[in-house]
Amino acid sequence: MNWQGLELSILGPACLAGLLVLSTHVPLGQQVLARGIIFIDLAIAQVAALGVILAQYFGMDEQGYGVEIAAAVAALAGGALLTWTDRKWPDLQEPLIGTLFVLAATGGLLLLANNPHGSEHLKDLLVGQILWVSVRQLVPVAVLSAALLALMWFRRANLSGIVFYGLFALAITASVQLVGVYLVFASLIVPALATVGMDGTRRLVTSYSIGIGGYVIGLVLSALLDLPSGAMIVWTLAACGIIGRALLAVGPRRRLRSTVSAT
Amino acid sequence: MGNKMNKYTLALLLVCALMAPQAHALNVFACEPEWGSLLHELAGDAIQVDVGTSALQDVHVIEAKPSLIAKVRRADLIVCTGAELEVGWLPQLIRQSGNSKVASGPGYFLASDQITTLEKPAKLDRSEGDIHPGGNPHFQMDPYRILAIAKALDARLAELDPAKAATYKQRLDDFTSRWQTAIKGWEAKAAPLKGRKVVVHHWSWIYLLTWLNMEQIGALEPKPGVPPTSSHLAGLVDLTKASNALAILRAAYQDPKPGDWLSERTGVPAVTLPFTVGGDDKSKDLFGLFDSTIDKLLAAQK
Repeated sequence: MNWQGLELSILGPACLAGLLVLSTHVPLGQQVLARGIIFIDLAIAQVAALGVILAQYFGMDEQGYGVEIAAAVAALAGGALLTWTDRKWPDLQEPLIGTLFVLAATGGLLLLANNPHGSEHLKDLLVGQILWVSVRQLVPVAVLSAALLALMWFRRANLSGIVFYGLFALAITASVQLVGVYLVFASLIVPALATVGMDGTRRLVTSYSIGIGGYVIGLVLSALLDLPSGAMIVWTLAACGIIGRALLAVGPRRRLRSTVSAT
Repeated sequence: MGNKMNKYTLALLLVCALMAPQAHALNVFACEPEWGSLLHELAGDAIQVDVGTSALQDVHVIEAKPSLIAKVRRADLIVCTGAELEVGWLPQLIRQSGNSKVASGPGYFLASDQITTLEKPAKLDRSEGDIHPGGNPHFQMDPYRILAIAKALDARLAELDPAKAATYKQRLDDFTSRWQTAIKGWEAKAAPLKGRKVVVHHWSWIYLLTWLNMEQIGALEPKPGVPPTSSHLAGLVDLTKASNALAILRAAYQDPKPGDWLSERTGVPAVTLPFTVGGDDKSKDLFGLFDSTIDKLLAAQK
């Protein structure tokens, strides 16, 4: 056991970052699962990274907002492309997303063949380390999350293609840089997966509880066991999902089962 | 009476503690194991040392753990390589710790500031690969630079903790004489290696090779940090075969696959060197690190 890392000032900003990510990703995750396109976050994150690499390729400065804007524009373009493919070939959306993912990832490698500094940025963009988050960094993400949540609430979760993909692209671009792709994937999918068969407010409350439990327990365990925080949280999120699911199954078992088999 | 005595002693201790706020043992955070080992040589138990990384990690990139931030937070001094080796994580770590003592000034010791580095680029150009503007940061494999850094580090310890300056001085003198004797031994032992050619994985060995008068004829990474292309590898196979190379060198933390690939095609042995303290069983301290490195190079001869 290792008690020295267990300090609010060390774990606090990371925890706040996790809560911000969860705030938008829990409702978006339900959409992702319903649409059956679970790898879309990886694809969008890679497209955002490709945007950054392209911007640098054409001589844009590494620091500053230019890079952020390039990432957001690329992600939105990726979102628009996926909206179009969704409309044109709705049955093939998942394999198309997979193809977009590998094209964006390897496109980055080709552009970076002679520029290893870009690859550091690419890695930052994909692996983002939750413990390095500063409170100052969280302010723009908080504003963006609030705007996205307001928009989602306004549309009553009734998101058409272009609105969904646009929202999703912006949310993912922001969160991936904060906490990395693994955590983004887990935050999207695990709470939604654990609450399949529920609906409405009950599903949202349960999903948020699983997400918050996963982040808090994961951060504390990573401090106590002295393990990398991001990876630890992915595992505690999964554990909370399984435990949450099991607890729910004990109660209204029959009703849950019947709705699951109905979907 | 005993009670009274205790009270006086307590009061006296309190006064002493207030007058000499630096009387506690220095807490030092070392970014890499070689500096942890050097600190142990220079200060022994007089300071408390935390080492941030291990020999089996690539120190260009590390995973963030809560304990790392906690260690930097309580440090009075951090000792790191510098030359942009830790640029990917040390600034965030210091910022996140909120410890202004080690952010700059005497609490911030970079080994690269104490010596001259090799391969310092004349111009900074992305096309030259993953170069460090501060020069090649892998200088822990040159025993003379280690000695220069030891002197500067010892002065820094004495500056931060003047009460123990005499201890630090005495330990530095002791280390210096043992180290100089060891250098003579290593140089005599490594004489047969002079002029031998090697292929390297990453550009990590320039200081070792320069010291031992060996020659780097090629690298698996065509430019530092850039993965090889097929034409580069083809050229490297021919070059390695043609030049009677001694070995293909890699560090303990690096992926063995590229070196093994080249070894299979050329018959030149791939040798894993410890690279820093803890990189193999024998490298328990700085002396063991150089003993083991030279033994492994000699064993590749045959």
